[in-house]
Amino acid sequence: MELLQPSSLAELDGGLFVHGGTEVVPLLRDGILRADRLVDIRAIVPRGVEGGRIGAGTTLAELEADPHVPGALREACRLAASPQLRNMSSLGGNLLQSTRCWYWRLKYPCRLHGGDRCHAREGEHREHAIFANDFCASAHPSDVAAALLALGARLHTNRRELDLSELYRLPDEADRSTTTLEPGELILEVAVPPVEASVYLKAMDRKRWSFPQVGVAAARSGGGTRVALAGVAPIPWLLPSEGVDSATPLPRTAWKVDVARALVRRALAQVA
Amino acid sequence: MARLIRTEKEVEGRFEEVWLVVEEDPLEQWPAGPRDVVGRPAVRKTALERVRGEARFTADIRLPGMLQAAVLRSPYAHARVKQIDFTQALGLPGVHAAVGPGDAPGLESEAGYAGAPVAAIAAETFGQAHAALQAVAIEWEQLEAVLDPEDAVARGLLASDPERYERGDFERALAEADVVVESTYRTQVVLHNSMETHQAVCEWVGDRLDVYISTQYIWGVRDEVARGLGIPADKVRVVCEYMGGGFGSKNSAGEYTFAAAELARRAGRPVRCALTRTEENVAAGNRNGTIQKLTAAARSDGTIVALGGEFVNALGWGGWSAGTDGPMRMLYACDNVRTVKVTTKLNTPPMKPFRAPGFVEGTFGLECLIDELAAKLDVDPLELRRRNYAGSNDGTPFSSKNLSDCYELAQKHWDRRHDVRARSTPTWKRGVGMASQIWYGGGGPPSYAWTRVGSDGRIMVVTAMQDIGTGTRTAMAQIAAEELGVSLDRVEVSLGDSARGPYATLSAGSSTTPSVGPAVRAAAADAKRQILEIAAQRYELEERVLDIRDGRIVSSDGNLSVELDELLGLLGNAQILGKGARGPNPTGMSVHTFGVHVAEVAVDVETGEVRVERVAAIHDVGRIVNPLGAGSQVEGGVIQGIGHTLSEVRLLDPETGRVLTQSLDAYRMPTIADVPEIVCEFVDEPDRHLTSLGSKGLGEPPIVPIAAAIANAIRDATGADVHELPISREEMLRALREAKERRGAPAAV
Repeated sequence: MELLQPSSLAELDGGLFVHGGTEVVPLLRDGILRADRLVDIRAIVPRGVEGGRIGAGTTLAELEADPHVPGALREACRLAASPQLRNMSSLGGNLLQSTRCWYWRLKYPCRLHGGDRCHAREGEHREHAIFANDFCASAHPSDVAAALLALGARLHTNRRELDLSELYRLPDEADRSTTTLEPGELILEVAVPPVEASVYLKAMDRKRWSFPQVGVAAARSGGGTRVALAGVAPIPWLLPSEGVDSATPLPRTAWKVDVARALVRRALAQVA
Repeated sequence: MARLIRTEKEVEGRFEEVWLVVEEDPLEQWPAGPRDVVGRPAVRKTALERVRGEARFTADIRLPGMLQAAVLRSPYAHARVKQIDFTQALGLPGVHAAVGPGDAPGLESEAGYAGAPVAAIAAETFGQAHAALQAVAIEWEQLEAVLDPEDAVARGLLASDPERYERGDFERALAEADVVVESTYRTQVVLHNSMETHQAVCEWVGDRLDVYISTQYIWGVRDEVARGLGIPADKVRVVCEYMGGGFGSKNSAGEYTFAAAELARRAGRPVRCALTRTEENVAAGNRNGTIQKLTAAARSDGTIVALGGEFVNALGWGGWSAGTDGPMRMLYACDNVRTVKVTTKLNTPPMKPFRAPGFVEGTFGLECLIDELAAKLDVDPLELRRRNYAGSNDGTPFSSKNLSDCYELAQKHWDRRHDVRARSTPTWKRGVGMASQIWYGGGGPPSYAWTRVGSDGRIMVVTAMQDIGTGTRTAMAQIAAEELGVSLDRVEVSLGDSARGPYATLSAGSSTTPSVGPAVRAAAADAKRQILEIAAQRYELEERVLDIRDGRIVSSDGNLSVELDELLGLLGNAQILGKGARGPNPTGMSVHTFGVHVAEVAVDVETGEVRVERVAAIHDVGRIVNPLGAGSQVEGGVIQGIGHTLSEVRLLDPETGRVLTQSLDAYRMPTIADVPEIVCEFVDEPDRHLTSLGSKGLGEPPIVPIAAAIANAIRDATGADVHELPISREEMLRALREAKERRGAPAAV
């Protein structure tokens, strides 16, 4: 395996991007990702916070400590992973995390891997999705993505500018990917519009280093409040207007609906 | 003089009748209470080596020319290797040797669970060995797999015949009782997940085999390896000086040891075989799941008249049926007890003993049931336990039992419940719960120790025991220092090498201190006797008037007080050699440890989050040798128990039988942020009938009552009865819903 360390965007030429390595390295080790060429993007992805613009190379630890970062995002960073992981992992990388679905991580030939069934739906799914789980019941693990979705963030890549909501797509029969990122496309910056109040609440099964069982972000701006959830759908999930009642839990995930309902109520109360 | 006796030997709650050669233990016990060294907090002897990274664990062993092994494991829950061919794998770069089914003990052609070892390859690097596994041509025949314990019970697929126990007349007592409670409890499969994974390094030196291994029992490994390889036991040397945890999962040599030994023989190089963290979660043993249908019946005055339990121990492909029924038989005075224990054999990873096997699970069920009974009787739970205090083990006297003193010490923690409840909010309900505990922990013979005293005035204790991280090395040094009348810093302990010291017990069943401690004391006393013999000649006094105190030789009339070093300086190259042995256990007595935990919890009734906010752990384990080490043991037990209670669960795919929780982010042990305030208290009363030390073991007791104490605190806080471990949000919300329906039921009628 070859490691490239480009110093400018112009030098980019294929390969697997790696920043903090907290996700890519385990996936390479487990044979889920394969690459002949690793590209260390740390020198070319902006890092740091300037007004509402956040470099995609900013670490979660930096965001968590920065008073200029909206509350929901700071809290989502603080509650994510462990201090060691947050010191390494980048904002951009966090948005592109893969699911923690054990079937996917163990390379079961599931739909997300291109197969023809969702093993979790019929099998062990107590931590899985309660929304949009028909095709694939995996749950998206990014706290940060839910926070940014509620905050109405926009992304700048080396190719385009888009709403964060446009980064994600539900996997389907024709296309199993959960993002719209094209090969060679790289998230460079995240723009976060100002909000009046925001919060991130997270149900965990221990106090640190727990992916969200349910994460709820709420942000209020200009008379409207947007709510987004982590850990409840194959992608970060904007709460629909009918609220949590529209959930379609699996037999063992009904409890997540109760948790989501309580956290949404609390989050709305906190930003009101 | 050595004596041959026929006796009952207990390990982890399992008994067998054996012949034992024992030596008498003539020393009188020390008076109760802290002594000069014993009973005083002592920092670990090896604390600095550990924090500096100088302590050499098995995981640190790197021998010249050492190869690394990787293990080929079954992808199927039940299958047979029809054909295996290593030709291609052996041709890969760095690969030196391969072993397959039948080549080494533990590598079998029939794989009884997904993850069962069938072959291993040794290469220059682990990466090469791992890559070579992919090149092994293997043809599997898949066999039927049984994964569900209830399915196994229904189909009669049992590992052994059901074990029945009855005293009195259960049915009649049940019929005559005023109050009856019945509940079914389930406990999950949990994993040891020791910091140091299972591993061994094997090196042949001529016809002798050196085994460096992370183990709880170097002598057991020595015998097993000798038997397995067909060589004399004295040709096998087993070394384990520092160890990163075992919790019962490292009581014996595993396939990794045999594979390393055989690969080393074939390759002519030392071979290391270390399980990865994934393998540790898949194939290194577990605490088996249980299903417990329990009944308790009482008279209206709170006298428990009947206890009954149907227990299913859901064993995997290996292991043994632990005493899930034990607490029900022993914890309370009850004339009518009936238990039956059914043990399944499943195509799931094997059970291995895990810190008080059976009793952790059985105490969860029983002590939750007792609180349900207390609620129904409207009796204070602590009072109910006092009223049904067991004075004997079904007629056999306890060698010592101070559980009532534990209850006394617990009272002030129990009394906090009114204040704790008052701190509830509409969403966070707070409450206090308690649970009691009985377990074994008396140890037994044989175990031996030597002492060596030289002219430098230092004392070396030599015993081929292992310190599995519990701090027993320090405790042994304290015992020797106390007996010899010297300060702790003059004593070193040489341990962890079967070629460098006499036999000592396995470190399981809370047995190291009560087994080896008395032998160390006897060896120190033997050295002291010899020192005083020389002193008597040097100072022309009678031996009986001489003693060693604070590092000085003193006479009883106070006229003589000289530095011990002055006398020992006369030794020159001569050495004083003492030896000691562990005496027998008291006959006709039941030796047990006791304790009580009081837990304070907060429950978010909307999200099902449970937080343990404070635990008071009070234990009666005889004399406490090192209060600092004992406190650490209790804290560790409580923390591991909190994981068992709230977050840890090994999940299997119900279709393939593969472990789904293979990593530490999926298998969730508590982090330091999850640890509450833990208050440790000890009764610290020597067991007058047990050895010259009066100490019992403390490794296991602290994990026994914690789950029930937490569950009972949850009931106190919310009125909800949890019936399943772990108490996940799912289980918590279910119990809350059930409680709400129960409260609402009368109104609905």
